[in-house]
This record gives sequence, C-alpha cells and structure tokens, in this order.
Amino acid sequence: MTRPAAAVAWALWALWSLSACAPPDSGSARANLQVGSALAARQELVRAVDAGGMRSLDPSISTDIPAERVLDDIFEGLTRLDQSGQPAPGLATHWETSSDGRTWTFHLRSANWSNGEPIRAADFVYAWRRTVDPRTASDYGQALAAVRNAIDINEGRAAPATLGIEAPDEHTVVVRLNAPTPYLLSLMSKAYTYPQYAPVIRAYGDDWTSPAHIVGNGAFLLRERVIGGRVALTKNPRYWDAAQVRLQKVVYLPLDRAVQTDRFFAGELAFTDSFSAEQTAWLRSRLGDQVVSAPYLGNFVLGVNALLPPFAGNRPLRLALSMALDRETLVRYVRQGLYQPAWTPTPPLPGYQAPVPAWAALPEAQRHALARHYYQQAGYSAQHPLRVELYYPTDTDNRRTYEAVAAMWRSNLGAEVSTYNEEFRVQINQRHLRKLPLFHYAWIGDYPDPYTFLQLFRTGFGYNDGGYSNPRYDVLLARADEESDAARRLALLAEAETLLNDDAACIPIYYYASRHLIKSYVRGWTSNIQDRNLSQYLYLLEHQGN
Amino acid sequence: MPRYVLRRLLSAIPTLLLIATLAFALLHLTPGGPFDSERSLVPQIQHAIEARYHLDEPVWRQYLRYLSDLARGDLGPSFQYRDTSVNQIIALGLPIDLAVGGCAIGFALLVGGAIGLLAASRPGTCRDRVPMTLSMLGMSVPTFVVAPLLILVFAMRLHWLPAGDWVGGSWRHLLLPALALALPYTAFIARLVRASALEVMGSAYIRTARAKGLGPMAVLLRHALRPTLMPLVSYLGPALAGVLTGSIVIEQVFGLPGIGRFFITGALNRDYTLVMGLTLLYGALIILCNLLVDLCYAWLDPRVRLAQ
Repeated sequence: MTRPAAAVAWALWALWSLSACAPPDSGSARANLQVGSALAARQELVRAVDAGGMRSLDPSISTDIPAERVLDDIFEGLTRLDQSGQPAPGLATHWETSSDGRTWTFHLRSANWSNGEPIRAADFVYAWRRTVDPRTASDYGQALAAVRNAIDINEGRAAPATLGIEAPDEHTVVVRLNAPTPYLLSLMSKAYTYPQYAPVIRAYGDDWTSPAHIVGNGAFLLRERVIGGRVALTKNPRYWDAAQVRLQKVVYLPLDRAVQTDRFFAGELAFTDSFSAEQTAWLRSRLGDQVVSAPYLGNFVLGVNALLPPFAGNRPLRLALSMALDRETLVRYVRQGLYQPAWTPTPPLPGYQAPVPAWAALPEAQRHALARHYYQQAGYSAQHPLRVELYYPTDTDNRRTYEAVAAMWRSNLGAEVSTYNEEFRVQINQRHLRKLPLFHYAWIGDYPDPYTFLQLFRTGFGYNDGGYSNPRYDVLLARADEESDAARRLALLAEAETLLNDDAACIPIYYYASRHLIKSYVRGWTSNIQDRNLSQYLYLLEHQGN
Repeated sequence: MPRYVLRRLLSAIPTLLLIATLAFALLHLTPGGPFDSERSLVPQIQHAIEARYHLDEPVWRQYLRYLSDLARGDLGPSFQYRDTSVNQIIALGLPIDLAVGGCAIGFALLVGGAIGLLAASRPGTCRDRVPMTLSMLGMSVPTFVVAPLLILVFAMRLHWLPAGDWVGGSWRHLLLPALALALPYTAFIARLVRASALEVMGSAYIRTARAKGLGPMAVLLRHALRPTLMPLVSYLGPALAGVLTGSIVIEQVFGLPGIGRFFITGALNRDYTLVMGLTLLYGALIILCNLLVDLCYAWLDPRVRLAQ
C-alpha cells in the first residue's frame, strides 16, 4: 500500500472506530433508555414541527400546522381539545343551543389574559370580526362561513359589526348561525376562533405577535421566537387550569423530517412531528413502541377535471381509472403500510362510515376486468389508448406514488399516463384555473366531519378545482345543512358521498396517517384523528439515557 | 486610501441598483404568486392582500416604491412570514451565519494555511502527500455527507456535542456546523497555499534570500509568506461572502435559523421582498469583500497602487 493510500485507510478506520466506541447497548435507543415511574424533576419538553411553517402567530392569519401547534398552547378558545382530540369545555364552562340549532349561547368562566386583565366575551367578538374582516386579509376569512353574515362580510357586502356573534354581558357569547352546525364545537377550538386582546393589536399592529408584546390566554406564554428557528414557551401561571399543567417549558424546533429523526436518536428531541415513511420498518425495529402512527384527517386523492377532455362527460373513463388502481399494493409497497387504502373521499370518522363503492370488494381480477370494460366503453383500447398528463407538486413521496399509479394504469388498462411534477406555486395556479386534466388533490380536513371533505365538490365552491357539478349532490348537501338531527344529517351526507363515488368525481388513493417518534418517558398524549396533542396534557417521567 | 474606499463604495450603488432591478424583474416574471395557496381566495381577500403589499399597483410603481423604501433602509414586510419584516429576519438570522461562517473561515485559514505551508516546505515527501490526499478527500466529499457523519459520530454515538439547534450561540452548538462548513474550505485553502508557496519559493528573490544565508523559516515568513497569500486573498473575497450569508445544507442539517435557507424557501414561496433583501445583502457583501481583497492586495504587494 502506498503512503497516501495508507493514510486514507487510516483516516477511514479512525472515523469508523470513533463511531463504534459508543456504549455497547447504544445500538438500540430503546435499550439505552430507562424510564421510571415518578415525574421528572425537569419538566421541559423539546418537540419538533415541520420546517418551513410557523409563518405567523396571529390566530386570525395563521394557516400552517406548526403554527397551530404553538397557538394551541398559547391561546384557548371557547372549547379546548381533550386528550382524545374531542372538544371539551375551554374558556366556556357550558353552553346551550336553541331548538332550531341556529343559536348557541356560551357561558365563560372567570379567567385572565397573560397580562392579568380579565377575559371578556367582547374579546371573542373582536377576534371573530377581525378574522372575517376582509381588511385582515386572512386565508381563513371564510372558515367561519357557518356564522351568520360571515361570507357577506368577508366578501365586502356587509360590515364586520353585523357578524352573528354578540356579547350581551362580560361572560356570555351568543353565536348565531346560518344553519345547524353540529361541528361548531370543533371549530371553537380552532385558532381563528380564539379570543384576541385588542389593545395590544391596536398598539403594535403586525408586531403584536412578537414575544415582547403578545398577550395570550393559553397554558403557556411565548418567550422566544426565532424566525425559522426555535420557539420557546413557559408555563403561564395565570392560566385558569394552571394547576393541572405539569410542563414548565416547551420548545418547538422547526426541522426537516430526516433531521428530526437524527435529533431523536441523539436524545435532543422527545416528540417528533413526523418521520420518513421509508424508514418505518427500521425505526420500529430500533425504537419499538416509541414509533407512533394513527389515522389522520386527510386524504390523498387525484382530482379529475370534469370540464376538460378526456374526463368531461366521461364517467366510464373516470370509473375505469379508479377501479384499475391496486390501492393495497400502493399502500403496502409505496407507503410502507402506514396509510389506509381509500375508496371514497372521506376518511373514517367517529360516527360516520363513508360509503364504499360495491366494486371495491371485488377480487382484483374481476375489478380489473370491470375497469377494462369501462375503459372500452369510454372509447379507448390497446390501439387507441388513453393519453393524459397527471400533474403533481414536486415532492419525493408524491413522485413515488404517482409513478406507481401510472404504471398500474399502463399495465391494467394500457393507458399512457405521463406524470409531470411542477413547483407548487406554479401548479396551484393552474389547478385553480381548472386547466389541469388530472391533478394531485390531497386535502386535510379542518374539523372531524364529512362536510369538510364533501364541500369541495359543491358547485361553485372556491376549492372545487375539478369543476364537478351535480344538482342532486348540491341539493343533498343543502338538505344536510338544514338538518338539525345529527343522524339524519350524516345519512344525507353519506347519500351525497355515494353519488360522488358513483360519478367517480375524484380518484381516492389513500388516507393519511400521523406519524411520530415519542420518547417513552413522555406521557399524557393520545393519538387522535386531528393529530393535535396540547402540551398542557403532556408530562415527563424520570429517565436515564436517551 | 480613504478616497479610494469612498469611490469604490459610491460605485457600488449603481451595481446594487442593477442587482435590485434584475431581481425585481426576475421575481415578477416567475409564474405563481406569493399568495397562491390550496385555498383559492375570494376576490375581496385577494384584493385586500394585494393592497396590503401594494401588489395591486402597476409594476413600475411597485419598483419605485421598493427603491424608495430601500433608500431608507427598509427592505419591506416579508410575504411569507406575515407578521415579520425582512429587516427583522436578517437581523435575527445574519448573526448566526456570521458566527458559524466566521469560525469556519477562521478555522479554514489557520488549519488550511498551516497544512499548505507544511506541505510546501517538503514537496514530494510524506508530509506533502498525506495532507494533500486528505485535502482532496475534503474537497470531494460534499457537506451534506460530512455534516450527518459528524452528527452520527459526535452527537448520536458519543453524545459529546449537540446534533444541532442554536441556543444563544454557545460554543457547543457552534462547533459541529462550523467544522462541517470549514472542511471543504480548509482543504481548498491547503492546496491553494501549497501551490502558491511552491511557486513563490522557486522565485529568484527567494533564491537570493537563501543565498544571503537566511534560514528556511526566515525566508518563508519574511519573504515568501506575503506573496503566497495573494491567490488566497483573491479566493477569500467571494468565499467569505458566501460563507457569511449561510449555507442552506448546514442550516438544514443542523437546524440553524440562519438566513441561508431563506434563499431557497423565499424563492419557492415567491416572497419577493425576502428574496430581494437577501440578494441585495449578498451583493453588498460581495462588493465589500472584494473591496477588502483589493485593500489587502495593496498591503501584500507594494506594486499594487490603489489610486490606479
């Protein structure tokens, strides 16, 4: 061996031996971690959120999930989510509804803002009006559509003062709705319905959300916020339920998925926001039950453009493409078994069983034969194959899925589907303009109710990018809007969804799942479909190692 | 010299203006807008947002408004981080990049320079070949391989240093990112200094110095060092600007909240003001570093006259 080669070999050997001289049990992070049963003396949790978010901590403006996690900790609405993700009394101790379900009266507890000022019902009125006011320019301006006049105000046809929310006294909030809204309590725990402290917003404008100025009412106080970096919270001693909050400090770190996993293994993170699906088996073998995955309120769907060829007026073609997909194979081999196959847009929800098309139960060979039948009925054959472009935003996970989808269509039908990935901002514009024939149309629900998914297909709805329109479907949704009986309402929604499936208005592929790495000494969390775990419920057990 | 510096600084203004104009034009020509999202906005909200950021005005007026704000040192509000200004983002992130980049370049200069001189002092021997082979390795292995390797060894296996984050600039959090950033620069500087030193050591005036009886160290430090540094100084100008404005790889891998990542995320999110602010900052730093390089030339080589 020449001298330089020997030097290189020596350097590599040194690097390897350095990495190998860790304790023998560190090969398994589980074996290295010993968890006791008593509370840890230092109640400080470091949790990760996805990088690239946390764009605003203004509850009226914020739209991303990382910011939602922080806002859930530093603010609280009329309701707050309990450990299982269900709405429970928050600032409101109790509430009642009118017989027609259109008027809700919430009774507030005595509680204070973080600066010691009492929280008043008028703070909710101020916040909601601010959210829908077009001058606030909130992306969520229409999220309060259920509240009377919200849409008119948001679209500039009415004054914010006409919004259907009143404060008859300091401890009562009256909400007037356009229609019975059974999911209202879930909305009341969303950031855009949190109360806001008007004096600080008026005094500091956009800068009111900085740690030096912000006034909150949640279990934690914002202490530090670095743009694109750490956000540190400390326990709020003025929070009405502070006695039940055990964490003294929470640090959020916006990190890429791969970096989150590294930090978890290094013992610097106790709660990751995600992990790479490709690493699932390896992580499970190393971390055991510290790998947590659960159904999530989101679907991975392909949108079909009902206004453009080849899909316009071509139900057989849409059905053929949907039937020709082997969803179980996709989920098992492309998504590592983390997700659930989807046959219909709405994921499984508590109390609602989405209608699955009958053909979904057919054996694969029969389903493919039926798909080919519809394919031919649509006017396509081996000599005259379907040629269409599928558009999706640039993302590795998307690419894998859609290449597999195109390959399945090629092999099962002979269709020639070309996949195109584009930058998100470029593609979303084209999608909204309804210029794309076949496109990525994944959706994360705003609240655990089928309506959040089914409204996308309503005629004229702002996010109906496929241009689907069926008067019968619209009538069913309108009837569901007016229905005050919960069971009958869900039945109407199921009927509407059946219609959607019959029309093959979209091609569902799978339902998302939340995925976290959670140290076994972190307790107080429960997987829930909204994937929201408020830090106020979490606590740490004493532990040794990483 | 002050007049020269002043003249160079004044001549930077049209350059920066050109950068601002080009960046502005390119950003506005790129398809997709800053507020395009999955939730298509109703026209009233779209108008309100556009009015808030003056996007409803003709492009030429937006351009003039930007320049007028720029003249007052205001880089505008970020479109991506809606409750934050570009000035705030730079004020929070730049010190982190300056710390990491400063340490990295300092390390690279000291270690790379020393290795280069050492190698040049005994060309063709083991003392030359081993560090040069290692430096080739250092230049070839990209940062996105080196950085995770350092984390694997020092954070995940040995638990000596944190795998990332930035806690008030403590040295423990600074060490790994600075080292990962420094390695390719160290390797390049070592090779640059070696090559330059060998060329200088073969010069006639060095031979004369040796002939006068000066020892090897005296020849090196008193006669050869300054001319040896000339190519290094040329290299350092743009390198310094690049290092100090942050490395996206280092920031991503170590989770550092510097400004490097905003070059990419700002462009992807069509955050016009953020991208323009960062481009101008980078341009200004390049100009400043080049000025420093020219001043260093004058100090290193008496034949260089600043007035010319």
